[in-house]
Amino acid sequence: MARKKEETFFDYTLLFITLFLLAFGLIMIYSVSSYEASLQYGDAAYFLRSQVFATIIGLAAMIFVANVPYHFWERFAVLGFIVSIVLILLIIPFGVERGGAKRWLYIGNTSLQPAEVAKLAMILFLASMICKMGKGIRSGKGFLTVLAVPVPICLMVWQITENMSSAIIILGIAVLMLFVSSPEYKRFILLGLGGVAVAVTAVFVIVNVADSDAVGFRGGRILAWLDPEAYASSTGFQTLQGLYAIGSGGILGKGLGQSMQKLGFLPEAQNDMIFSIICEELGLFGALATIMMFLLLIWRFMIIANNSADLFGALLVVGVMSHIAIQVILNIAVVTNTIPNTGISLPFISSGGSSVMFLLIEIGLVLSVAKGIRLKNL
Amino acid sequence: MFKSFTFSSSPLKSKSLKNKTYNRKKVVTVFFICFMAFLVLSGRLVYLMVFRSDYYSEQARQLHERERSIKAARGRIIDANGTVIADNRTVCTISVIYNQVTDREEVISILCDELSLTEEFVRKRVEKYSAIERIRSNVDKETGDRIRDYNLDGVKVDEDYKRYYPYGELASKVLGFTGGDNQGIIGLEVIYEEYLKGKEGTILTVTDAKGVELDAEGEDRIDPVSGNDLFISMDMNIQSYATQLAAQVMETKQAESVSILVMNPQNGEILALVDVPEFDLNDPFALPADVDADTMPQKEVQDMLNNIWRNSCINDTYEPGSAFKIFTAAAGLEAGVVSVHDGFSCPGYVMVEDRRIRCHKTIGHGHQDFTQAVMNSCNPVFVTVGLRLGVDNFYNYYQQFGILDKTGIDLPGEAGTIMHKKENMKAVELATAAFGQSFQITPVQMAATASAVVNGGNRVTPHFAVRSVSRSGEAAQSFSFPVSENILSAETSETMRMILEQVVENGTGRNGYVEGQRIGGKTATSETLPRGRGRYIASYIGFAPADDPQVLALAIVNHPQGVYYGGQVAAPVIRQLFENILPYLEKIDYNVK
Repeated sequence: MARKKEETFFDYTLLFITLFLLAFGLIMIYSVSSYEASLQYGDAAYFLRSQVFATIIGLAAMIFVANVPYHFWERFAVLGFIVSIVLILLIIPFGVERGGAKRWLYIGNTSLQPAEVAKLAMILFLASMICKMGKGIRSGKGFLTVLAVPVPICLMVWQITENMSSAIIILGIAVLMLFVSSPEYKRFILLGLGGVAVAVTAVFVIVNVADSDAVGFRGGRILAWLDPEAYASSTGFQTLQGLYAIGSGGILGKGLGQSMQKLGFLPEAQNDMIFSIICEELGLFGALATIMMFLLLIWRFMIIANNSADLFGALLVVGVMSHIAIQVILNIAVVTNTIPNTGISLPFISSGGSSVMFLLIEIGLVLSVAKGIRLKNL
Repeated sequence: MFKSFTFSSSPLKSKSLKNKTYNRKKVVTVFFICFMAFLVLSGRLVYLMVFRSDYYSEQARQLHERERSIKAARGRIIDANGTVIADNRTVCTISVIYNQVTDREEVISILCDELSLTEEFVRKRVEKYSAIERIRSNVDKETGDRIRDYNLDGVKVDEDYKRYYPYGELASKVLGFTGGDNQGIIGLEVIYEEYLKGKEGTILTVTDAKGVELDAEGEDRIDPVSGNDLFISMDMNIQSYATQLAAQVMETKQAESVSILVMNPQNGEILALVDVPEFDLNDPFALPADVDADTMPQKEVQDMLNNIWRNSCINDTYEPGSAFKIFTAAAGLEAGVVSVHDGFSCPGYVMVEDRRIRCHKTIGHGHQDFTQAVMNSCNPVFVTVGLRLGVDNFYNYYQQFGILDKTGIDLPGEAGTIMHKKENMKAVELATAAFGQSFQITPVQMAATASAVVNGGNRVTPHFAVRSVSRSGEAAQSFSFPVSENILSAETSETMRMILEQVVENGTGRNGYVEGQRIGGKTATSETLPRGRGRYIASYIGFAPADDPQVLALAIVNHPQGVYYGGQVAAPVIRQLFENILPYLEKIDYNVK
């Protein structure tokens, strides 16, 4: 590569994948929500409009962040970490309940999920911390320190905002960032095996006490996961309705806008369950194409991370990559009933203002890291 | 644009940290872990969307489709002359769909005019926000068609069937009527439900989760199959005349009720079955005018209706009285314990053990032979015959004649015979049973028993149904009913016909005589339980021609005022009936010659 060092690089591939996913998401949101929206609000574009608004703000934020050298944000790492804790604590007195869970803060008319802030703050904080630790990360102490940092945040997100899925995502981001920054493998294999063992034991215990009243809310979801049709009218309802949508799509789908399940049958159709409507309308082809787009996005993150000018930039990208990858995988796994039901939205596609804004800020961060790539290294 | 800003990249330690090779390897590892996860999920999707697609599609289809049934036209009931006596009328239901109405005022004014409803009533419904609002049901077809011709947006005219009985009250207790779902409730309508009802069709429509139908999805239709027509042996001309006679005698004798049953004794086909007072089949739930249904408990209303619908020929029993002597005489002759010319002497009573059983003629009939004893309806003679038969024989003949069983008539709720148990039947019980007292049977049982005695000895099943034919005319099914042959010898039957003809020629049945016809018959007068209250049942059973009976008729007058003898009250009814129907049945054309 005989280019000059000063020549700036901009990752248009990542930008266009992101824009494509956003546009596709908006089309799907309109398709899924227009019927219910026109019944409820007399305006078919009700949900689309608010999503477009959030997307525009998100894009503006993305452009801004993309043009700021990413090291600028390092000084806010500790502050961001503290702010996210404060925001989560603010849920206790000021939180607003929606759909049975108290997860939102309102500032004027705009709502904000502190869990979204916490994800971003965690990425920034860990990237900065790991870089400062230097070689200390290789020791067992360093390993455990990094692992301990997200734990209080995760517990708070889980307990205060009753949002286990966000807690899992934050923990997952931390583990993957730690994994990338440490040359170790054995510890992570043990960690993974431990996690699997805990999950299997939990499922085993719950199945064995299935008949007693002690199962509770999450236990009920696990039972519904194993046999959704036995809980068709209670905990398995949403899963089963989602499966009806996916299954009835077949190979080629019913065609854009032709979903039946979105007509009030499938709860949360434009949020967590939007992927099942994609399956119903666009078929297996549409579903695999969507997965392919996400894979492309993650591949792009990998390229940027591995060419980043320094470890801090690489870790930021790894954090974002982990966040998006975990969320996509868990969402599709939930929708296809591969794992027990838990509320996770599909990045860029599910309706939800604060989610798309924070995701776009993260993309901006990655674009900023990409800009720092020295082309001669390529 | 941001280049003009100066962000100071603070000289932190991290900046010097290089992205090492193992970091890069690990990022690639993370990517491949994600790639594997995506691969697994894609496999899961292939499984769900290819291999399980049929199953989930079917489940989803069941969830989205709504079945609406289309009523099938119920089969008609057709009498012996081919006259339709139970039919269907097309009626319309008028509804409005709020979202589709364009000109509300026009809809309101047209519906007010056409349906003769108040504006307030119609406006309330037209302006109500609902998926579909019914304005009026059971609107006749002409009005429905007129409303449809206006082509009003959002006004729906749905056609439906409603049972209609052109003869109103005639044969009400035989035909029965149908309920809201066109299902039979009493009478032939309920017995032949499976032939008449047909098969409902369905309209499958696709709906959203709230049940709102989606027009774009179209509809699937399975057409209904009409019920089969039921052809019955009843002749509405005879039924009509018999009903007039019954109403007449009920009026003149101030009786509580009058029943007339006309049947063919050879095959059991019933030509007419009257039980006045009848009720209007087109309004079966109407209560008498002096009853206030609003203040009456629901149960009492239902009891009252059940009484109105009750067919006393089948659902109630009575003491047959002297008419039952037909049985005792036939059994005595068949067993050989008595012959036509045996002589008897009647002092006006007979002693059975320590009981003195009186004859209706208290001074006695004096010397008489058996034929004369039947003509006189002499109780002591029948007590003697009964005692000669003995309990065992008597009971055997009961069984042989099928008196202890139900007749098997094709109407619902036939009552059973109320009879002494054999082990409880002693001389006194036997003596009273011999002249038709101390037990109860249904009128139809009496008619069936008399039929067997005079038709040559074959016990036939009284019935109405002849055949059932599908609407298109194919698939005719003839009904057959059991016949027990030779329960009585042909000779005894012939003797009985001769004796019973004598009863009408010269005996108590004189009032049943029809000029120029050979008539056989037997009168009966029984006092209802409890005795001594002056409440009687006058009855008469007649048949013609006496030598080869083609028609047998039974008249029962319940609680007549004044004269209460069967020979004076009931026999003239059957005489008038025979005077009219015998020429009719022989198809005599008076216009010839």
